[in-house]
Amino acid sequence: MGELGPRRKLVHLRDESWRRIVESEKAVERSFHEGRLFVSLAVGVLLVGFLLVGQWRGYASLSSDLSRQSDQSLGIIIEEITAENSELRNEVLRLELRMFEAQREEIDRSDLLNEAAKELTGLRVMAGLSAATGPGVVIVIEDEENVLLAQDFVALVHELRAGGAEAIAVDGKRVIGTSGFVGEGTDLKMDGTTLAGSYRVVALGSPSDLQQAVELPGGFTSTLSTFPGVTIEVTQEESLMVPAADTIRFVYGEPIPK
Amino acid sequence: MFVLVLALALGIALGLLTNVSIPAALLTYLGVAVLAAMDACLGGVKAALEQTFDDKAFVSGFITNTLMAAFIVFVGDRIGVRELYLAAVVAFGVRLFDNLATVRNLLFHRWGWE
Repeated sequence: MGELGPRRKLVHLRDESWRRIVESEKAVERSFHEGRLFVSLAVGVLLVGFLLVGQWRGYASLSSDLSRQSDQSLGIIIEEITAENSELRNEVLRLELRMFEAQREEIDRSDLLNEAAKELTGLRVMAGLSAATGPGVVIVIEDEENVLLAQDFVALVHELRAGGAEAIAVDGKRVIGTSGFVGEGTDLKMDGTTLAGSYRVVALGSPSDLQQAVELPGGFTSTLSTFPGVTIEVTQEESLMVPAADTIRFVYGEPIPK
Repeated sequence: MFVLVLALALGIALGLLTNVSIPAALLTYLGVAVLAAMDACLGGVKAALEQTFDDKAFVSGFITNTLMAAFIVFVGDRIGVRELYLAAVVAFGVRLFDNLATVRNLLFHRWGWE
């Protein structure tokens, strides 16, 4: 072939530079293409990731949503809830029953307590530990000649008790189980206290019964009225007061438990 | 490749941060659409590895596939064939695994593990 002529040289140079330009263009295009590839793929993948999370979250919240459950699972859910409901109802009934029983028990107990308290109060009144108030009779005995004896008062107390007296006081002193009368005339004493020539006896109970008991023909009033200087006046009262006795001392006897 | 993993992580992080939650009514549509998008992405990766990637084809494929998938579910819902979404799921599922196998092979070839 020999040497290239100047003209051919020029042509060759031109071709060479053209080829280089085209190649660099291609390289640029390739890198551009590569960049677009990655950008589009990356955007797509990014979207996929984003949507996946959204879907995941949406489905998680859906599983608790009844409106999206299948008929079968809804049926199961209803069955479960119904069973639970009836169980709870049973529980409520059971508890109500227990509450009812407890209330009844409480009422019974309080009744018992009330009764016991009432009994205790009654016993305290009977024993003279408590002052008492209520209807009854007042018997005023005037003994100007001081002829009355201790047994007259014992008889009076007996008559009153027989007439249903629940509490008796003589001259403001309570008559109790251990009370006793001694002496006569001006030295008449009850439980160590001297009684005056004028006596006031208060007895609680049915006023008419008590009056009847005292004024029985041949009884206390009719007998004592025949004594000189003795006047007896019995009056019925609707509200009387009997004081409590002094403290009872229990020394020799010992209670026997039931 | 690293860029794609990064992009996926970024997408997940974005989803977690924006607290996005798809409404219940759109869940089935979007579920299939996501499947289609995943298939398109995997197809794109495969094409890139085969050096036949065309961004126009990828973008158009991505969009039409997702929209068509959602549309199929919608049509199935409307015409009383709710199970139509299964068709899309099966089609995209099969393609997904196909593409996955090809990508795996290409990557092995590239890394010289064969």
